[in-house]
Amino acid sequence: MTAYILRRLLQTAVVILLLSYFCYLLMTLMPGDPVDEMIMANPEITSADIDRLRALHGLDQPVWVRYWNWASSIASGDLGYSRTYRVPVTDILGPRLLNTFVLAGAALLVAVIVAIPLGVWAALRKNSTADYVINLFAFAGISVPSFWIAIVLILVFAVYIPIFPAGGTGSIAFDMTPWESFVDRLKYLVLPVLSLSFLSIGTYVRYTRAAMLESMGNDYIRTARAKGLGWPRIYLMHGFRNALIPLITVTALSFSTLFSGAIITETVFAYQGVGQLVFESIQSNDFNVAMVAFMISVSMVLLMNLIADLLYGVADPRISYA
Amino acid sequence: MSESAAVPKVHQQAQYEAQSMASILLEQFLEHRMAVIGFSVIAIFLAIALLAPVISAVSGLDPDRQNVFNRYQPPGSHLDLSTHERELRVQTFLRQSDRSELVRFLADRELLEFAVDDEDLLYELVTQHASIHLAGMLLELQSEAPDSARSDLHALRNLVAEFRSFHLLGTDELGRDVLIRLVYGTRVSVTVGLLVAFVSGLIGLLVGSLAGYYGGRTDAILMRFTDALLSLPILVVLIVVSAIDLGKVFGGTPLAFIVESRHESVIKMILILCLFSWMQAARLVRGSILSIKEQEFVLAARVLGAKDRTIIGAHIIPNVIAPLLVAVTLGIGNAILFEAALSFLGLGIQPPTPSWGNMLNNAQEMVQHAPTLAILPGLLILFTVISFNYIGDGLRDAIDPKSIRR
Amino acid sequence: MSTRALIALALLALIAGVLAYVRPQLMRPGELPTNAELKIGITQEFENLNPIVMSMVATTYIYRMVGRSLIQLDEDSQWLPQLATQIPTLENGLARRVSDGEREWIEAEWTIHPQARWGDGEPLTCRDFRFSWEVGLSPNVGVPNIEIYRQIRDIHIDPDDPKHCTFEYREALWNFNRHHLLYPLPEHLERPVFELHAEQPEGYEQNSNYTRDPTNPGLYSGPYRIVNLGLGSHIILERNPHFFGEEAHIERIVIMLIPNTGTLEANLRAGSIDMVSQLGMSFDQSLAFANRVQAQELPFRVNFQPGLTYEHLDLNLDNPFLADIRTRRALVYAIDRQGLVDALFGGLQPAAFHNLAPTDPWYTEDPARIVIYRHSRRKANRLLDEAGWVWRDDGYRYNADGERLRLRLMTTAGNKVRELVQIYLQDQWRGIGVDVRIHNDPARVFFGQTMRRREYGGIAMYAWSSSPENNPRSMVSSESIPGENNGWSGQNYPGWSNARVDELVDELDRSFDEKERLDLVHEILWHYTSEVPVIPLYYRSETSVTPINLTGYRIPGHQISAANHVERWRLMDAEELTRYRSDAQ
Repeated sequence: MTAYILRRLLQTAVVILLLSYFCYLLMTLMPGDPVDEMIMANPEITSADIDRLRALHGLDQPVWVRYWNWASSIASGDLGYSRTYRVPVTDILGPRLLNTFVLAGAALLVAVIVAIPLGVWAALRKNSTADYVINLFAFAGISVPSFWIAIVLILVFAVYIPIFPAGGTGSIAFDMTPWESFVDRLKYLVLPVLSLSFLSIGTYVRYTRAAMLESMGNDYIRTARAKGLGWPRIYLMHGFRNALIPLITVTALSFSTLFSGAIITETVFAYQGVGQLVFESIQSNDFNVAMVAFMISVSMVLLMNLIADLLYGVADPRISYA
Repeated sequence: MSESAAVPKVHQQAQYEAQSMASILLEQFLEHRMAVIGFSVIAIFLAIALLAPVISAVSGLDPDRQNVFNRYQPPGSHLDLSTHERELRVQTFLRQSDRSELVRFLADRELLEFAVDDEDLLYELVTQHASIHLAGMLLELQSEAPDSARSDLHALRNLVAEFRSFHLLGTDELGRDVLIRLVYGTRVSVTVGLLVAFVSGLIGLLVGSLAGYYGGRTDAILMRFTDALLSLPILVVLIVVSAIDLGKVFGGTPLAFIVESRHESVIKMILILCLFSWMQAARLVRGSILSIKEQEFVLAARVLGAKDRTIIGAHIIPNVIAPLLVAVTLGIGNAILFEAALSFLGLGIQPPTPSWGNMLNNAQEMVQHAPTLAILPGLLILFTVISFNYIGDGLRDAIDPKSIRR
Repeated sequence: MSTRALIALALLALIAGVLAYVRPQLMRPGELPTNAELKIGITQEFENLNPIVMSMVATTYIYRMVGRSLIQLDEDSQWLPQLATQIPTLENGLARRVSDGEREWIEAEWTIHPQARWGDGEPLTCRDFRFSWEVGLSPNVGVPNIEIYRQIRDIHIDPDDPKHCTFEYREALWNFNRHHLLYPLPEHLERPVFELHAEQPEGYEQNSNYTRDPTNPGLYSGPYRIVNLGLGSHIILERNPHFFGEEAHIERIVIMLIPNTGTLEANLRAGSIDMVSQLGMSFDQSLAFANRVQAQELPFRVNFQPGLTYEHLDLNLDNPFLADIRTRRALVYAIDRQGLVDALFGGLQPAAFHNLAPTDPWYTEDPARIVIYRHSRRKANRLLDEAGWVWRDDGYRYNADGERLRLRLMTTAGNKVRELVQIYLQDQWRGIGVDVRIHNDPARVFFGQTMRRREYGGIAMYAWSSSPENNPRSMVSSESIPGENNGWSGQNYPGWSNARVDELVDELDRSFDEKERLDLVHEILWHYTSEVPVIPLYYRSETSVTPINLTGYRIPGHQISAANHVERWRLMDAEELTRYRSDAQ
């Protein structure tokens, strides 16, 4: 088991390393550089200024040299300096990461809480009206453009019926008790979480339903039924437990989807998260920030894959790691 | 929703043996009601996409025609064309043939309150009067007109009658008709969706069958590559990639014409989406090949000395096609969603070409002033994607041997 | 239709009814903000507020609330001292032309306001200016525009009075004293950081107190100081008790970054922000919002102020079609600029005749001094006929070689207003048989590559924003045509070369006589409008939304932000507002 985990971790590290170079290369393929950003803001900059600034920022060196410098400073624990904000990357990334984890975590939680009962219900009442409605809802969830649902939510719940703030991360005020500021944060979270969890709900409902149907068809369920076990026991202990495996996979894998989704959600809701930061930093060529955020997200996905594999073992004792 | 459709049709069971595979599949598919509805919706959308120029010609609406003094008009507005457009049409009218008789006739009628050169008369006439008013005036003059000018006058009246347009869904930020832009947007979005899904299905088939059939090192390399791509946060990569300038990539190559064409951003969108959406298909194909490869009929073929090409072509691909078809159908929906997302962020299809995504981009900040502009394109995306997803679901049920024994 | 469906319908109706009842109560009553706090929304990102390295527009906006420059440009485009007590000129004797026989330069005496202090009470002196000049010239500091510092050869501080010093300039230029971008740095806080990190590239800016300790009051000299800085999120400002000028009325200002314009507006209506700065709504949105404010009597004022930002089209004179002056003139005649600004901007952004804005003291629209092109499609068509462009049935014009009159129109992708104008122009030019193809690049490619290397094949749309009374050398002189020989410097992107204009820009720098300068500028304008290397479009207007009870607020028509006089802003209470309104009627 330990050997297996170690081997997988090593593989993951190699993949991360390769991907980081690939990403760095992609970023340099984008035209323009941070200095061009300054030119736009200030037409009085002269060509000599531009060359001076390029040299100062090391932008006149070949890609691999710049990558090497970047990678070695990362390895030494220095995440670099944000060109856009003119502060160390950690200063800007830390709070953003926290915000995104709160958002994505809440969305995941909501999705699981809503989707699993719905999926189980749909499976147990297969081909009933409830099944059709739940299915339609799930299909709508996976088919709706997330930015559009965000706009509609703003239109309905912030403009027509103004019960939630239209966007932002929280009110900016000094005189709030911890409880008040907690409630305030929650209020700001409702709409983004709703819009972000919509997609996941659709996916999870479909997988839960399919997995439930699959496991309900197994012989041991029939056996259990024949033994005269009560239905909650059959469905929850036997049926659902087996349905869990594909569900765990999907949940773990959907982390990448949540992260991508967060870019759009955070942009529309002006939520101060990593997704928005990534978008902004790519747009403004803020290499250090974009790369670090990028690497975090890639590592997260790869780690989640690993965790999903490991969790199989917990949920299904037949799988072992030799 | 009634429950009658869900009752299995037992009497059909007996017919299965006599049916061909295709008709079984068709029947299975038709039993999936939502899939059938989805299919009809898509058929309608495809028809709209194909017939867009016809719709444009019949309705007299043009997706690019502006009316800047009538921006953000609500649904159901009757509007006069912009003065610029009216003048342009008069210009064409004058260039078509010699209209001097008509102009002389009209000049004598003193229809304007101020004097103008004959040369400018028609221009002034169409811009000074509202078109309904003008058409009425011209009708009254019909009887007085000399023979030499009568047919021209009639032609002018027809021209003026077309100066008024009806906008069922209102107008956008340049006074363009929203309905016809949605129609053309269907064209762009559906084309992108279909092409991307098809091409990435092909790439997936190629990569997946190479990996699955040859196994070993080929498999390891191809699949590690696929997995690595899959682990990338796709939207982030697309944002980066869409910033790359095609002009630099294709400059000087035979493909340079793409950059020059009016549809550069559409082609670019398709290329980019294809590059990053074949991975699921590849894994799927590899998976099914691995299971098929070990089956007896393939072994038999190999023992009989069949070439790799024959085995892949004659035995493996036909068995892989069905699941691939499902994946491709579902892929269409995803491609449409990605196109919309990128266009929404301003990185996809560039104006003036309408796509549902970029229409939403424009509408977003005006959502409080003109909500229909933001709601409609999103609804169309939703309907299209949900339809493709239901079709995919229906196909999956149809080819799934377990579901035949429902 | 079953009973279930009926119940569902009834439920829906009930919900709708409840919402219809609840909604008006949820809408906030128009509570007016008070002097206790003003919350301002912006959409553009800002960086940390080190005045010497800041380069983002939003940062320069905010900086004016916490920091002051040596001199300023007020709302009426008058030059006034800010940290200085007086602006030295040749006339008032504080500046003099000095010559050593070979070169000529200027020396000027500056005196810093006696009460000027940093936020920690430390006096602000010439030493702080000398220090910022020193930092600005350091090769390891990423100063955006080094010319601000390079024009000064040395700063001599009076040994008896650190508030008094003499600037020795490198050259004798008439506009030597325009130091509105020269900011002091607090030497007592920043000197140690600078000395420690001077040798390391970017060492100073990464370790500066502005980066590491941005709420240190000693860093700021303006009416406010920063008490909380959340990059990418918000800034909280409070009154600076050590400010040397009049005390600000508003106790606390919160600036919130809401990068999405739609969300920004929703926040404004919900009351979570009170005001939208110039860096907020798009023009289109402001226009729609202004209508809404009027229709629903919302407690806001939407401000429009034409500025110095000059939107125009550069015509690439290397393009064989555009090399012909008749084609260029036809293109100008064909576009209805007044129609454009009326239709798209409600007439609130003025149409342009040339590169100088109406707020510039050098501005003229005298038909005797410049060439004015009134919209006339007939003239445009005649010019194209003369140039040998013949109509064909497809509605476009072709030359003798059978080439279609096709031009590429480029601008920055994602700028909605420009994209609208672009499509409008495309349509107008179609009317004279010109086939215009739109091709847009992301802003950084457009400016960093396409324009700088003159790779735009036909027409490019973008804007300049320059100080009033600015020598147009970099845009019109033939030396400023970017190319291999000058290291791609200069912004004469059309490639316009006119020997007389080259002379004129040189004379302009050397002329110390106001009247003479005006004549020189107008002659340049005459050539500029006559030869049409550039098609002027319009001057961009700044827009902002302020609470109806805010007084003392004005958007200046130039690049120094409205926040320059933030200490005058005041929020009236309801009673005063009523009085004020009845006075106004």
